[in-house]
Amino acid sequence: MAPCNKSIIITCVLMIISITFSKATDTDINCLKAFKDSMEDPQNFLSSWNFSTTPEGYICAFVGIECWNSNSNRVLNIRLPNMGLKGMLPLDLANCTSMTGLDLSGNLLYGTLPTNISKILPYVTSLDLSSNNFSGQIPRDLANCSFLNVVRLENNAFSGQIPLDLGRLTRIREFNVANNSLFGPVPVFRNGNISAESYAGNSGLCGGPLPPCEGPANKTRI
Amino acid sequence: MDRMPSQISTFSLLLFILVLYNFSTVDGNAEGDALFALKTRLTDPNNVLQSWDPTLINPCMWLHVTCNFQNSVSRVDLGNANLNGQLVPELGQLVNLQYLEIFGNNISGIIPEELGNLTSLVSLDLYENQLQGHIPKTLGKLQKLRYLRLNNNALRGTIPYSLTTITTLQVLDLSNNHLRGYVPVNGSFSHFTPISFANNPKLIVPALPQAPAPAPAPAPAPLVS
Repeated sequence: MAPCNKSIIITCVLMIISITFSKATDTDINCLKAFKDSMEDPQNFLSSWNFSTTPEGYICAFVGIECWNSNSNRVLNIRLPNMGLKGMLPLDLANCTSMTGLDLSGNLLYGTLPTNISKILPYVTSLDLSSNNFSGQIPRDLANCSFLNVVRLENNAFSGQIPLDLGRLTRIREFNVANNSLFGPVPVFRNGNISAESYAGNSGLCGGPLPPCEGPANKTRI
Repeated sequence: MDRMPSQISTFSLLLFILVLYNFSTVDGNAEGDALFALKTRLTDPNNVLQSWDPTLINPCMWLHVTCNFQNSVSRVDLGNANLNGQLVPELGQLVNLQYLEIFGNNISGIIPEELGNLTSLVSLDLYENQLQGHIPKTLGKLQKLRYLRLNNNALRGTIPYSLTTITTLQVLDLSNNHLRGYVPVNGSFSHFTPISFANNPKLIVPALPQAPAPAPAPAPAPLVS
């Protein structure tokens, strides 16, 4: 009797331990599974994303995925430019809790950016969503992605004003919103020298490197 | 008169042997000596270093060692090899080394400051070991370094500011150590987030300045509050 109980206890403890250790990287696997599920992938670029195997570090070999190191499944960067992917930005990217780089440029992504984007991408340092079909406003909450160095949103259909709060981002050295439908004053970035080209091709951006904004408010825009 | 040709030929033979000997002790052997010094300081229960034979002309045929086209060591790949023991200062003599991969072992002792001499180094992966002591500030000399992963060790002391001068640094992981003091945010460190420094209880990750959004001048009635 006693040895039987002991082995059950040991088995349970081992199971709990293995579940605990795998939980940390399960989230990244779920992040990528959800990403793949939310994308139309007509050119089958994501076919290498095979989730049926289980060894540690296997997602690190997926196309477009760079891990923190080869010993664990922690996603550092997702880089999938120009792959013909079509879909909305999946909120499950939040499960890639260690991700700092996201490049989905040159695809067919659409929809608006989540208003709580800093909860989805809290540690993002380089965000490139350029050359897609994103629309709507640039979320004010992007200003809470405090570690952003590079923001590339050019060649989309973003509209409205650029949230001036983005000037709070102290690490910005590149900020490009060219070729959208934005208007109004541009943010004042403390440490960035943003060129006029970064604002070109919009509906009436002003201030900063552009001509100054006109005095009386024009509340309505065409 | 007859002795002269045989004396000359003996002399030529000796000269030939001397020249041969000189050619056999080129720098490749010094690098083999350096790696062999590492072998002697490591305990190797899986026998991964079995092929490390110092009597060979150079270490380029050793397993887990890669050389460049000039027969100089460019990679050492000993990740997850169940090695115990310590690193050695002689590693700093591998001047063409680009990848030093000794992660996932049981290596203790300090990171030799001589690693700062490896100015071709692109990747320094000593993560998941039991390394102690400080991060040498000489590592700031590694001006081509792209990957610096020292996470999951027992490193102490502060993070050297010299590391912020390495503009090529892409991935930095110092998490899960016993580091203390302030985390730099200047230079290349502007790309790094608290993830790179997590689980160092005494390390102070500076709060990002909450500057109020500066008002543009002159502006239409602001739509943001």
